[in-house]
Amino acid sequence: MTMARHDLISVTLGEYVLDDVTPEERREIEQHLRDCAACATELGELCLVMEGLARVPEPVIPPAALKQRVLASIASAPAQGRIGKAAPRGWNVGWLAAAAAVILVLGGSLYVAQGRARQASEELRLADSEIAELTTRLDDFAGQTDLALSILTASDMQRIELAGSAAGARAYWSATRGLLVAADQLPVPPPGRIFQVWLIGDGAPVSAGVLGTPRTGRGMLIAPPPGGIARGPVTVAVTDEPAGGLPAPTGSKHFVGSI
Amino acid sequence: MDAEARLVSRIAAGDMDAASELYDRHAGHVLALARRMLRDQGDAEDVVQDVFSQAWRTASRFEASRGTVIGWLLVMTRTRSIDRLRAKQARPDTRTDIAPDSMPSSSVAAPDQMLSDEQAVRVRQALADLPDVQRKALELAYYEGLTQSEIATRLTEPLGTIKTRVRTALGTLRERLRP
Repeated sequence: MTMARHDLISVTLGEYVLDDVTPEERREIEQHLRDCAACATELGELCLVMEGLARVPEPVIPPAALKQRVLASIASAPAQGRIGKAAPRGWNVGWLAAAAAVILVLGGSLYVAQGRARQASEELRLADSEIAELTTRLDDFAGQTDLALSILTASDMQRIELAGSAAGARAYWSATRGLLVAADQLPVPPPGRIFQVWLIGDGAPVSAGVLGTPRTGRGMLIAPPPGGIARGPVTVAVTDEPAGGLPAPTGSKHFVGSI
Repeated sequence: MDAEARLVSRIAAGDMDAASELYDRHAGHVLALARRMLRDQGDAEDVVQDVFSQAWRTASRFEASRGTVIGWLLVMTRTRSIDRLRAKQARPDTRTDIAPDSMPSSSVAAPDQMLSDEQAVRVRQALADLPDVQRKALELAYYEGLTQSEIATRLTEPLGTIKTRVRTALGTLRERLRP
């Protein structure tokens, strides 16, 4: 370790704790932190500062109904390690089981990665980064499942049948929670194009995002409510657009439905 | 293991009473931070629900040697609040996949200190005492989750100026942790 490198890393630790670094910078900083006690100590203090900032707002008394809501949502969700045993019953949503299966597979990979890490110190670093990546992916999946559940259980959720080129395409819209679009038999989009989902309220169409993995024939989008859509009647439309999507629709409309 | 860490172990074992107790102890702080960041009571309450759901799911990964329970909950609160801010403002998420419930990431040497209540008070006072321009830059970074480039654009200041302000502010707050 050179002093120049140490000095360079040391000045970026603040950006690191504020999560304002590129993935490359993150890897480099974490590599350096393993070997540099001074930077590790500084990081520890910066983490305490972060916690101090988090505790600056004076605690408030939450409304009583919120506790009931939080505990009800916990009671209906499986805790870690018991994922899959408490799947919601009576819901005709096979993709939920699929999402749970993916989470189980990722959880299994995590377990295998942890076992490997115990075997040999040389493998430890690799396994660590693998665990971190799997953990992040697992949380992403869990976040998506959370959002999907909150949309499907929202009191203002409305189901919208989508008519067009895919069979069984439907949307679930909650102005407070977001939009879930699922299609079972998607056509393959034209080369270089993707399916983009639009929400149309009383103004111009607003992008809700891109319909995932159409190559498998199943498409899904789970997204929080995009800005600019007021409560009230909405139309959901899916068009094909250049890869990456566009701010306003230009391509052919593949399916559409309205409340 | 302290009482708080035992509470989290019980949650990892699926104990709803422990989840209820964790909520009673910390929901006030979680709601306060979410309200400060989102400036909307409804959104902040949604974040409270998200955070305690995430705590329920990930309790077995909590490591008492790495920090306080309240610190763990508040890291999740900030991450979830920034997710909502970015979704609402249609800002792209340029953050780099930090594991949302661990800080720092578990592959890095762990800070083995805990923030005491007294230190929390000192950080609050130190933030209030910062020069206005430094406090503004740090608040935009911490409570609004803006990158330093975004802060520079918002305040129409050079990026280097913002970096210096944030770094200096963090240095001052670090100094004030010590008695």
